[in-house]
Amino acid sequence: MNRKWRSIIAVLLALTLLVAFVPGCAKDEPADEPTTDETVTEEPKTDIKAAMVTDVGGLGDKSFNDLAYAGLQKAEQELGVEIQVLESKEITDYESNIDQLATAGYNPIFAVGFLMTDTVVKLASVYPDTNFGGVDEEFYDGIPGNVVSLLFNEHEGSYLAGVVAGLATKESFDSKLNSDNVIGFVGGMDVPLIKKFEAGFIAGAKSVNPDVKVISLYTGNFTDQAKGKELGYSLIEQKADVIFAAAGACGTGTLVACQEKGALFIGVDADQYITIPGSGDVMLTSMMKRVDAAVFGAIKSMVDGSFKGGTAQYFGLAEDGVGLAPYHDFETKVPQSIKDAVDKARQDIITGTIKVPETP
Amino acid sequence: MLGSIITPDLFAAALRMATPLALAAIGGTICERSGVVNIALEGIMLTGAFFGTVVALATGNPWLGVIAAMVSGVIVSAIHAFASINLRADQVVSGTAINILALGVTGFMMERLYGHPGTTDPSAMLRPVFKFAMADGGFLGTIWNWINGIFLSHTPIVYMAIIIAIVAQWAMYKTRWGLHLRALGEHPRAVDTVGVNVFRGRWVAVLISGALAGLAGANLTLEQVGSFTENMTNGRGFIALAANIFGRWTPVGSYLASLLFGFADALQIKLQIFRGQIDIPPQFFLMLPYVLTVVVLAGVVGRAVAPAAIGKPYEKE
Repeated sequence: MNRKWRSIIAVLLALTLLVAFVPGCAKDEPADEPTTDETVTEEPKTDIKAAMVTDVGGLGDKSFNDLAYAGLQKAEQELGVEIQVLESKEITDYESNIDQLATAGYNPIFAVGFLMTDTVVKLASVYPDTNFGGVDEEFYDGIPGNVVSLLFNEHEGSYLAGVVAGLATKESFDSKLNSDNVIGFVGGMDVPLIKKFEAGFIAGAKSVNPDVKVISLYTGNFTDQAKGKELGYSLIEQKADVIFAAAGACGTGTLVACQEKGALFIGVDADQYITIPGSGDVMLTSMMKRVDAAVFGAIKSMVDGSFKGGTAQYFGLAEDGVGLAPYHDFETKVPQSIKDAVDKARQDIITGTIKVPETP
Repeated sequence: MLGSIITPDLFAAALRMATPLALAAIGGTICERSGVVNIALEGIMLTGAFFGTVVALATGNPWLGVIAAMVSGVIVSAIHAFASINLRADQVVSGTAINILALGVTGFMMERLYGHPGTTDPSAMLRPVFKFAMADGGFLGTIWNWINGIFLSHTPIVYMAIIIAIVAQWAMYKTRWGLHLRALGEHPRAVDTVGVNVFRGRWVAVLISGALAGLAGANLTLEQVGSFTENMTNGRGFIALAANIFGRWTPVGSYLASLLFGFADALQIKLQIFRGQIDIPPQFFLMLPYVLTVVVLAGVVGRAVAPAAIGKPYEKE
């Protein structure tokens, strides 16, 4: 009896483990196939199969991975390419996911997120005939010949966020603003990428408000919302009244702290006013990274044959690769002087009059 | 400088951050005292956090979410109980399987329910129990603000955790149930001989730990942030295990150990504020709670004696 039970539970546990890994594996395309079928007759059909592997944040992170997927979907609709997406639940999924796509003949394959950089280097040599797009991946030891590195000038967009925060903290267009001239920054992991956000934000704020005090705190990860909220509490306790968070899902926690204790929030990566329902009362603006534009651009270059492997492409303010989201509920409250200052800073960065630092 | 570190919010933050750790740690204590190792706390907490949000989003009532979190914790822990008590499986293997399972299942269900993994929409949240005004100035006013800030600013589960720690301590040492529970982990055969059902006793202990770890998850989603993110527990279940050992397998000890870890975490946040003045990388602060865990387990706690029959499946002869 006991032996029988034991073998039954062994099989059950094996099955549950299998189920546990299923979400990490293939995800079928949503059912918008009919619409593509209609367009196929008009659009020039290519035989390119583009795919992406998400970072551990996964689809539905309402920012980075979703934006990359939007770029992929746009390529499906406008260029007629076949698309596929695999989600990574753990860092250990990267390699098997990319491997799976390369074996299935997907080309190009986009690896979304800097954590995948080493995996891309490794697999680029295993699959020399496959092109890879490394979103947010900086290859310090040289870019492999079949890889294009898609990078963003986050510091430029963050500079504009800094201009908004630095000016807003001196204003009183909202009751949550105080007169202490302190603003805050919440970072995820302390890595060069997040440092670019911090550096740009501080430089932008100081450019319009030299006396402003900017406090930067780091959560150490991108998923612990509760930690993000505690950092928000601490910043507000230090009198910060505008907080910019570049910390993945932790930023959602910081946003809740702003709503509870009264401070304005600047979102990141996507227009978070849209992606986080009910955030309008504190969401001043967002620093957007147009990952969709970068991914779409890379696929387009594959289709028209201009794909240049072994290079890095930078998407900054000039390329509309970064920028500020609309003010939404604050549109009428934000004084024209702030809007003008943002426009001026934007022009100055594009023309090269202002050089934004990449390290704080 | 010290004035901006030592604030009421430092201690309030310690209490807030200790709460999920403490609930899971007390659950772990009860479970391990009965002789069953429960390293599945992390996965159970994550499951509770998830189903708490699901029900709160569906009904708009955060208290129903809390109940759902505890029930889902009980269900997941029942898997652990069945595998480790009835089938005498290796308890560490079963716990690890549950941790991996919880991560996969919550992500999978989220995709099915909301069409995307990642972070859910905000749900209704539990609000602070009291809402007293801050006093303006004066010596008494300052004292009132400190008391108000540290002790009276919290959400319901924070207070529940303190009450649970005290009640569990009383139950463990002053009741017949507690005597049996402790004996189960030391010498289950003796308990069996006096006519107590070892399997039932251990089942109850494991299910209680599941309910408490589920409640810890509810604290994270329904009190602290109001939405669920995949893997948002971020290792708290494992810190809770350490707190349980540091607390020498007693409920109040577990609570106090969790409070220490919560305080270390709160302190590192406040210390980060001065990163501008002192050039120390933030990683240094971020590792403080973990360094403390290692130091405490390796040094301060000394030879913590675990229940004698811990991890050993009971076989009736």
